[in-house]
Amino acid sequence: MKIKNIIITFVSAIAILFSTSVVSFAKVVGDKIILGAAISLTGKYSSNGVHTQNGYNMAVDRINEMGGVKVGGKTYMFDIIYYDDESNPKRAAQLAERLISQDGVEFMLGPYSSGLTKAIAPVTEKYGVPMVEANGASRSLFTKGYKYLFAVLAPANLYLDVAIETAVALNGGKGVRIAQAFEQDAFSQDVRLGILDAAERTGSKIIIDDKLPKELNDMAATLAKVKAVKPDVLVVSGHTKGALTAIRQIAEMKVDVPMLAMTHCDAAKLSKQHGKNSQYALCASQWHKTLTYKDDFFKDGMTYAADFEKLFGYDPPYQSAESSAALLVFKDAFERANTFDQKKVRDALAATNMQTFYGNIKFAEGGQNVDKPMVLFQVMCDDAGKCENKVVAPLKWASAELIHPIPKWSER
Amino acid sequence: MNKNIILYGAILIFGIAAPFIFPAFKVQLSILCILIILAITWNVQGGEMGYNTFGNILFYGLGMYLCASVQVGMFFPLGEWTEGGGEKTFVHTPAQFFQGFAVGLAVAAVVPAIIAGLIGYSILGLRGHYFAICTLGLGVAAGEISGGIEIIGAGQGFTTPPFPNVDRLEARGEFFYFCSFIVLVLTFLAVKAIYSTRFKLVLNAIRDNEDKAEAMGIQTMKYKIIGWMISAFFCGLAGGIMGGLVGYIDSTDVAFDGREMGVFMVLMAILGGKGTLWGPVIGATLFHIFKEGFWTFFLGWQYVALGVLIVVIVIYFPEGIMGWLREKYPERFGEVVDEADRKAQVTLK
Repeated sequence: MKIKNIIITFVSAIAILFSTSVVSFAKVVGDKIILGAAISLTGKYSSNGVHTQNGYNMAVDRINEMGGVKVGGKTYMFDIIYYDDESNPKRAAQLAERLISQDGVEFMLGPYSSGLTKAIAPVTEKYGVPMVEANGASRSLFTKGYKYLFAVLAPANLYLDVAIETAVALNGGKGVRIAQAFEQDAFSQDVRLGILDAAERTGSKIIIDDKLPKELNDMAATLAKVKAVKPDVLVVSGHTKGALTAIRQIAEMKVDVPMLAMTHCDAAKLSKQHGKNSQYALCASQWHKTLTYKDDFFKDGMTYAADFEKLFGYDPPYQSAESSAALLVFKDAFERANTFDQKKVRDALAATNMQTFYGNIKFAEGGQNVDKPMVLFQVMCDDAGKCENKVVAPLKWASAELIHPIPKWSER
Repeated sequence: MNKNIILYGAILIFGIAAPFIFPAFKVQLSILCILIILAITWNVQGGEMGYNTFGNILFYGLGMYLCASVQVGMFFPLGEWTEGGGEKTFVHTPAQFFQGFAVGLAVAAVVPAIIAGLIGYSILGLRGHYFAICTLGLGVAAGEISGGIEIIGAGQGFTTPPFPNVDRLEARGEFFYFCSFIVLVLTFLAVKAIYSTRFKLVLNAIRDNEDKAEAMGIQTMKYKIIGWMISAFFCGLAGGIMGGLVGYIDSTDVAFDGREMGVFMVLMAILGGKGTLWGPVIGATLFHIFKEGFWTFFLGWQYVALGVLIVVIVIYFPEGIMGWLREKYPERFGEVVDEADRKAQVTLK
């Protein structure tokens, strides 16, 4: 029965391993404020996860360079502990627990996507850890009564209803026929709810209402239906993969539709990857570099975009911009609270009312940002085939006029 | 037998004391218990019966959804709870939470077992690769179907009831740890008890040569179905607890997570040594420790590291750790070895 000895040795080995790995770095060590974040570095959200991480990193460097955070007469620098949540909610919840109870993190930054934020929020809430998140837009996040969750972005149901309203206005105020396809995830389903609301409000009819799988690489079935019934508006939402798949297959199948409204065009670098094929696509965005908001750290959108491009080699999608803004919100709240007490920092966050290069930030009771409208841009290409995203709505920031209806493929 | 009692006592005491010795690791320890349960139950089919199933994830996911649905549905309208926007917020009182969870777990255990019986009746006639591929489809199909059912949240996911506000911050972690630990102990004892009866011999006979077993007059179908139902029972329980622990159920990423959990349970059993009682336990423990380690030290490369580990396992420990030990120290497994014969074999090599 010596085998049992081996098992005993084995159990004690685990015990030793666990006990030696209990290293706790507190949230504020020396002159460092350590924030925790679980980010999708691998898995289906990995490209957006990296946009998020780049946004965080850029803001951390900038704030640190410009003098850090001043609390109680002392200067502190930001630092972030990252883990990879593998785009998996189960992993994300575990990591939040780990960041808080093992790494001793007392302030958190959000992950990428609503689903993952939904998994993390109960954990941060339980421990009373303030979390400023920049990438969880699902409306249900803000109706659960969370006290420690703050989102710098507008809720998901507002993403595309501007598009529907625009379509209705262009149709002389009469309802339009909508075809829609949404990925089976928390964010896209919320965008769908927004469209349903908008359709009801404007008397529009939904004639195709499809669900797309999570591993999204084909939506030909939906597009075949679209070709057959000829709706006025086609709405597609499914993160980066959804946008890429839609454009690829619409071009392949030469689907003619007067208006194509989507999300995540900039994160998918549509205009770069698909060039002229992506022309006329209408995209909901939390932010665009041409907006005229200002702050002391990044100056304005154009400067931010230029600095970002210098660092990472691509034009910043809004996911990066809002992530950078999250750090500005934290800095502002720490300085106003003038302490690292979690409750007081939470109260300071709740009282946030500021302008950043990304937009105005002011939190409602539920934690969502109510002071920042969504913008719509359209992919527009010049004759040389160089494509750019131009803001077309709301009119206050529009830098180009909406092209409607989209010319037929045969005329392009 | 004395040594046995000491060993089990030691493990039991360690299990009970663990969350207090390592308070920061409660969640990892709970997940470890769940992983061990999944590995042990997979081993009943994959190891003892020789039916490599990828379908056990179905029962795990079912258990998860059922437990949460019952827990909510007993006190509030389920449809309103999961409704897309989540406009309405209901709060469970502590009594409601625990009652709901207990009933939920019971349902999460029984229903998957019944379903295993029904499915088993129709597909356990398949053998070898055909069975494996068929069960692979089960998990995938379940994930897609549940992602379309509005009442359990569909693509939005299902937020399980938050743990009630009791004064202690540690209560939630301890509650779920002890739930999973108790279920682990029950699973282990149940499987150990089964393995000491004729049942195990029948399963082994099916593995070694099903036709001969049938020719011997054994109703193999009956045993296969019962074996699968037992696995489903405990998989369902594990799923129910995991749902509460994670707090958020997503159809393909958390519940019917065939890509991760579904594959991990196979890996763990193989790593430890399939067809043994302790193999899955050791395999799951080592696997969990490796995984957590890779996660911390190879950020972004953890799957590469895990892949290397799997390759190493397959090359150097094809029979798992228990198999390797058995080959090295056969006498410790109660096998009688003729020393001269062994030496002769060794020199031959």
